[in-house]
Amino acid sequence: MAESNAVEIRDVVKVFGFGEFAFSAVDHASISIRKNEFFTLLGPSGCGKTTLLRLIAGFEFPTSGEIILNGEDIAAMPPFKRPINTVFQSYALFPHMTVADNIGFGLTMLGRPKQEVRDRVAAMLKLVRMEKLADRRTSQISGGQQQRVALARALAPQPKVLLLDEPLSALDYKLRKDMQIELKRLQAETGITFIFVTHDQEEALTMSDRIAVMSAGKILQVDTPRAIYDAPTDRFVADFIGETNFLRGRIGSVSGGIAQVETPMAGRISATLPPDFVPDGEVTVVLRPEHACLWLPNDSAPCQTTGTLENIVYFGTDTHYHVRLQDGETQFMLREQNKPLQRQRFSVGDQVGIMFEENAARVLRN
Amino acid sequence: MTQPGANEAERSRDIRKRWLLSLPALLIVLAAATGPLLIVVLYSFLSPGPYGDVQWQPSMDGWIGVFLERDMFTETLSIADAHVSILIRSVMLSLVTTVVTLLFGFPTAYFIATRPERTRELWLLLITIPFWTNLLIRTFAVLQIIRNDGLINGVLMKLGLITRPIQMLFTDGAILTGMVYVYLPLMVLPVYANLEKLDFRLVEAAYDLYATPFRVLTRIIIPLAKPGLIAGSILVFIPALGAYVTPSILGGGKNLMLGNLIELQFGQGRNWPLGSALSITLMLIVTAALLFYVRNVGSQGSRHG
Ligand SMILES: Nc1ncnc2c1ncn2[C@@H]1O[C@H](COP(=O)(O)OP(=O)(O)OP(=O)(O)O)[C@@H](O)[C@H]1O
Ligand SMILES: [Mg+2]
Repeated sequence: MAESNAVEIRDVVKVFGFGEFAFSAVDHASISIRKNEFFTLLGPSGCGKTTLLRLIAGFEFPTSGEIILNGEDIAAMPPFKRPINTVFQSYALFPHMTVADNIGFGLTMLGRPKQEVRDRVAAMLKLVRMEKLADRRTSQISGGQQQRVALARALAPQPKVLLLDEPLSALDYKLRKDMQIELKRLQAETGITFIFVTHDQEEALTMSDRIAVMSAGKILQVDTPRAIYDAPTDRFVADFIGETNFLRGRIGSVSGGIAQVETPMAGRISATLPPDFVPDGEVTVVLRPEHACLWLPNDSAPCQTTGTLENIVYFGTDTHYHVRLQDGETQFMLREQNKPLQRQRFSVGDQVGIMFEENAARVLRN
Repeated sequence: MTQPGANEAERSRDIRKRWLLSLPALLIVLAAATGPLLIVVLYSFLSPGPYGDVQWQPSMDGWIGVFLERDMFTETLSIADAHVSILIRSVMLSLVTTVVTLLFGFPTAYFIATRPERTRELWLLLITIPFWTNLLIRTFAVLQIIRNDGLINGVLMKLGLITRPIQMLFTDGAILTGMVYVYLPLMVLPVYANLEKLDFRLVEAAYDLYATPFRVLTRIIIPLAKPGLIAGSILVFIPALGAYVTPSILGGGKNLMLGNLIELQFGQGRNWPLGSALSITLMLIVTAALLFYVRNVGSQGSRHG
């Protein structure tokens, strides 16, 4: 069981500062990262992602807790002894060396024979498609190319684990999309465990095998992208990943994992309960905007609730509708995919009905 | 809007006007920089006057005297051993001073550059404190410490470690100590300016790529700090080579350096042409050192920042 884990983080705490200024950047975090996994740390700015990554790399040492690599606690080992490499957000390429020397640096430091270093550098240049720029200085290549060199440099020594701290955030949209695919390809080709940090939820969902969502130093949920999106166990996770409607209410009755929740704004909602949930009065029902649809009242459909259409936002691929519910306070958001040559069915000010898709609503702890 | 021709004429008129306006300043700078130098060059080719000054009589004696010495009775020329040894001592002492200030200055600069930003200014201020005092007074302070009845000998004798004072004053070691003390800030400041710009994420990247702390120093930090190290070396080496006050007080007239030798020619020696020729020789050595710098750093082309 432990064999299949590349890195295990056990109850790690990192406190910065002393006394009354003490501050836990990482707060009792525990994660098991599997071998050959594309694992993502996702969370808002300042939640401790970089700190956790630096603990794994060895640039910081935990206040308490263990970091296990191949069955060995490496929490106190200096970075140059860990078989882990990092792709820095700023790339941190050595400006006084050529592209090839940058890529070969790790292997040279490991004392590998010159010929082996040369061969490996050539192979890495090929892997990241940079053969032609081997002798350039790192200041003479573009941002995207620097990114590739940083990747090649970190991959060259064949680390057990590769850490990537928001490696794509400095690139423009198009290049970022290309590099996302490139990263997935490199991970598949090398079979190295990737631990990837991002605050871009879309990037996390499209690239990861599993995601850990962090907030204020704590790990809130570790799961596959689909599970994180479809079945968030925490209000913060539901809010941070994608867009969500939150409806507060009280649990009326429960049967077969489905609760009937009485809400002041949308009446009685049938919502799925999380497996280990103990129903106790006040709860929140969550529903994704694309899991509901709009009707005009004369469509005579079985509506969950009604409201006033306040806003229509066109997004190209889909259209967002903001509906003020009956209680006059709650704003409900819906998303519908656009079809070719579609006529606009609704206009602002319309009285509309909202229908929930079956099994779409879920109960969350408050 | 306007034709390119008209535009160009306007621009060239503009440039001419700018040159005309800055001409007085340029003339003053030119005169101030080259005038005294030309006088020194001229004097080196004249004969000495009986009470100092020069006689308007062309002569190569000044230049011959730099390395050769005319026997008073036989008029034959031989190598001027005293001058050559002073020249060698000056170059050696300046080189050793440079190396010692490097050895002390680099760790000091690194220490300051790695302090939190708020406290760095305080450390820099401490480094520059010696500059607030006159050079003469600083040199006398060193003298107070190392002379026979000075601080070090006094303490050692009190402790009973020695029975007779150690002769430290009036040795090359004394000159070296004084020069290292005086010139250390000139090394620390440029090296610090360079290290302060150093991206310490590069240091982390090197650690991450299996470089031991020693390798990080030799492969990353020193190569990136090289321009600062060389600038500091030049700032120390050049004034050390022409140093006058420090060797004259701590060397005690016996252990002369080039600066003292030159002063001697304009003072007691009453041989201004020789003094001028020696000054120009010193300048040539400095120029050679600077050319060496330009060759080794200027052409390297590793501009980053
Ligand atoms: N060396 C340090 N000393 C004191 N506090 C620190 C230190 N490093 C990080 N912190 C604090 O720890 C918290 C987490 O920082 P961290 O850099 O890990 O955030 P992050 O999740 O990577 O954010 P971002 O997405 O902005 O990069 C922040 O509040 C930060 O101010
Ligand atoms: Mg970060």
